Amino acid sequence: MIRLIRRRLAVAVPVLFATSVGMFVLGAASPNDPAAQYAGAAAFTASPENLAQIRANWGVDDPLPVQYLRWLGNLAQGDLGWSTSRHQAVAEVIGARAGWTLLLIGVTLLVVLAGSLLVGTIAAYRRGGLFDRGVRAAAYAVESMPVFWLALAAIAVFALGLGWFPAGGLTDVRATGTGVGDVAHHLVLPVAVLAISQAPWFLLFVRDSVADSLRDDHVLAARARGLPGRTVLFGHALRTALLPYLTLIGTHLPELVGGSVLVETVFSLPGLGAVSVQAALGSDFPLLAAITLITTAVVLAANLVTDLAYSAADPRVRVDG
Amino acid sequence: MTLLNIDGLSVRFRLRDATVQAVSDHTFAVRRGELLAIVGESGCGKSVLAHALFGLLPRNAEVSGRAILDGVDLIGCGEKRLAREIRGRRLGLVPQSPATALTPVRTGRRLLAETLRAHQRDPALADSLAEQVGLDAAALGKYPFELSGGMAQRLVTALALAPDPALLIADEPTTGLDRPLVDHTLDLLRRRCDSGGTVLLITHDLAAAERVADTVAVMYASRIVEHRPAADVFTAPAHPYTCALLNALPDRAFQPIAGHPPMLTALPAGCAFAPRCTHADGACATLPAGPPVACHHPLVTEAAA
Amino acid sequence: MAELTLPRPRRLRWLRPGARGTVVAATVLVVAVVVCLAVPVLWPLDQSAVALDQVGLPPSWAHPGGTDDLGRDVLHRSIYGLRVSLLVGVIAAVTATLVGGLLGGVAGLLGGWPDRILMRVVDTVAALPHLLLGIFIVAMLRPSLGAVILSIGLTHWLSTARIVRSELLSLRTRPFIDAAISGGASRARVLTRHLLPHVLPKIALATTLMVPHAVWHETSLSFLGLGLPPHLASLGNMINDGQRSLLTGAWWASIVPGLAVIVVTLAIAALSARWRDHLDPRVRAELDL
Repeated sequence: MIRLIRRRLAVAVPVLFATSVGMFVLGAASPNDPAAQYAGAAAFTASPENLAQIRANWGVDDPLPVQYLRWLGNLAQGDLGWSTSRHQAVAEVIGARAGWTLLLIGVTLLVVLAGSLLVGTIAAYRRGGLFDRGVRAAAYAVESMPVFWLALAAIAVFALGLGWFPAGGLTDVRATGTGVGDVAHHLVLPVAVLAISQAPWFLLFVRDSVADSLRDDHVLAARARGLPGRTVLFGHALRTALLPYLTLIGTHLPELVGGSVLVETVFSLPGLGAVSVQAALGSDFPLLAAITLITTAVVLAANLVTDLAYSAADPRVRVDG
Repeated sequence: MTLLNIDGLSVRFRLRDATVQAVSDHTFAVRRGELLAIVGESGCGKSVLAHALFGLLPRNAEVSGRAILDGVDLIGCGEKRLAREIRGRRLGLVPQSPATALTPVRTGRRLLAETLRAHQRDPALADSLAEQVGLDAAALGKYPFELSGGMAQRLVTALALAPDPALLIADEPTTGLDRPLVDHTLDLLRRRCDSGGTVLLITHDLAAAERVADTVAVMYASRIVEHRPAADVFTAPAHPYTCALLNALPDRAFQPIAGHPPMLTALPAGCAFAPRCTHADGACATLPAGPPVACHHPLVTEAAA
Repeated sequence: MAELTLPRPRRLRWLRPGARGTVVAATVLVVAVVVCLAVPVLWPLDQSAVALDQVGLPPSWAHPGGTDDLGRDVLHRSIYGLRVSLLVGVIAAVTATLVGGLLGGVAGLLGGWPDRILMRVVDTVAALPHLLLGIFIVAMLRPSLGAVILSIGLTHWLSTARIVRSELLSLRTRPFIDAAISGGASRARVLTRHLLPHVLPKIALATTLMVPHAVWHETSLSFLGLGLPPHLASLGNMINDGQRSLLTGAWWASIVPGLAVIVVTLAIAALSARWRDHLDPRVRAELDL
């Protein structure tokens, strides 16, 4: 177990480091002048001396490696910098929004996992049947739909057409606080859209691995012992077929993060995804870099956690490690 | 008294561009208390026969004929009835390759207790079952991948015995075991028959069949070519294939059979052994009658009578 | 601990279409490509033209895809958008293939520890949130087609690297390579004459499989306003514009360009799945004799 963690970190840390270097170099090569951005509209009226002062304060003209190490050092100390697009400390921006993104992704993940487990298992059980073929065809079709398009279609039908759910936002415009019921009502469509767009992957995986495992020796042997169908399915087929499901969650997180960026944008949710798009449109390096790096680190960590969970759930791996 | 009556049982698999004839027109009966050994080279369809009786064949399998166990037709009674009434209690299976037949994330004790409970038996019987097959309590607490081949074999045997099946089908139960373990397993099967149980032993090991079987059915290229009392088969084989098989044994002539068995996708219309048979002539182009001996030129004539 | 050698799930799994499906997919793709190539000649588009007297018209014979909130023909602009998306998709897929082919080639040819390290890096890079990285790259380089292509090339090379590497590793153990080497063939000759011909079809397939992903990535970035300038017709821009029209009930402004993405990527993916089966005909006989 310790060796697994160490081995993963031995790769993950350098990759994260390389990503930060690449991002920094890209940011430095960017044609945007951070000082002018900081000054914002005032840059047009500010004197060249003032701008130079800002540049000197920020150390923008220092050699790149010096700037990089300073940036990294600040990040490590928790100073994430100043957002030029929102005129606010980056840490504040992230702190206020990370929760909503985590909520969106977390709830979506739960819905996707439970739903695809149920539907995929039923399809595997009746493989070749009408349900199986229908589910698979739908999964392939959904897989080719861009998530933002799916979101617009959902808004057109369920928000504008039927009026069941709000078309965007997190709370009702008349609301003064953030009531749980209100937020939940606003999250139904985003979560459903994100879940459906991510589901094909999980669904097809469950369906195929359960279908395969139903022909596994140990499942046939369990049936030959006369165990009830439910016991065979849950105790023998799913237990082994779904162990890799755990690592699948880890490998699929990047897709989920990308999807949440798009869904947050379409539904105007105040999450990290939407704000990173605004940061990108405003060439806001400190905010965008911090969000990208932190998200990357979190996803890498989540990958490690799912791998650990996998090795904890499978006795073969557990003893081996 | 007959326990299992197989009548005209055939199994074939439809593949994309071929049909595999795995079991051809089997007709035989197993008496209560009998130990019938079905012997043949690997790939002749022995295991398919076992899986057909359990209704565990893959979907592309086509099964015809009947197999009446204790008044119930295993082929026609449907999955629900097989699962609820037949498998485990009336029909037990010691599966081939015990290493893969054990659910990897469960310990032996949990598997045994689960099977006992599923058949309304006392889970505490696990230890006495383990003792019966020669498995100690420590081994019972281990995960399958921690067991040696021999221990896994004994565990799957204990699992098959747990519901106390009327007919126990042991599919190659001695593969990969060393000699003392082979003997231990075989003796266990023999004792079961001696105390009123019935066993169908599927094996390619002729010595194993000779040691314990009451009757022997020799299978070649999906057909049963000879089905006679064990003593007769081993002292005076009637089918040239049986004779050749015996002659291939190390402690007999140690002479391998010339040629290869036919592909199950392209079986000849007549006797499938004819191309390799020294006695073959024009008559062998048609299918010989039988059992007990499916041969136009049996080596022991009174057996065919 | 044991290596977690789980099969990495393929990013795309498609119906194995029967012959009929293949014909439909091929027809769709050929028609799409021909239309995209011919449209500047037969039906040129003035990108900046608006027709404020024809705002928000539903689909009709005159405008089969309806018009958007500036009175522009949705179908006409969708075709132009598809042109851009396919062009970007193909160039970006080739870029990604070059990156992945190079790295996978190095890993597969060297084997040993460089291979192990590189594959660990590939596994880790696969865990990076690629849309965010793409957004970052495009934002820093200012939105442009080149930036979009670069961002796809830098984040989508993993599957090609894996394919090339495993293909080379399995080829290295084949007898005909040994024979060529012991026959005195130079390294370069073994590489160009014996290895490349076997790997190239797989690389081509990997590139084709990458095109739909590149198209999705491009439309996503455009949709977020990080692709082509907003007045130019691109599918992502149009779907974004369509979001405005949606509120007035003009669903066609976003549905039509979306359908263009879906139909074309489905056709490409279905054809490449067919191609993959052809390259790798594994007959799964469910048979336990």
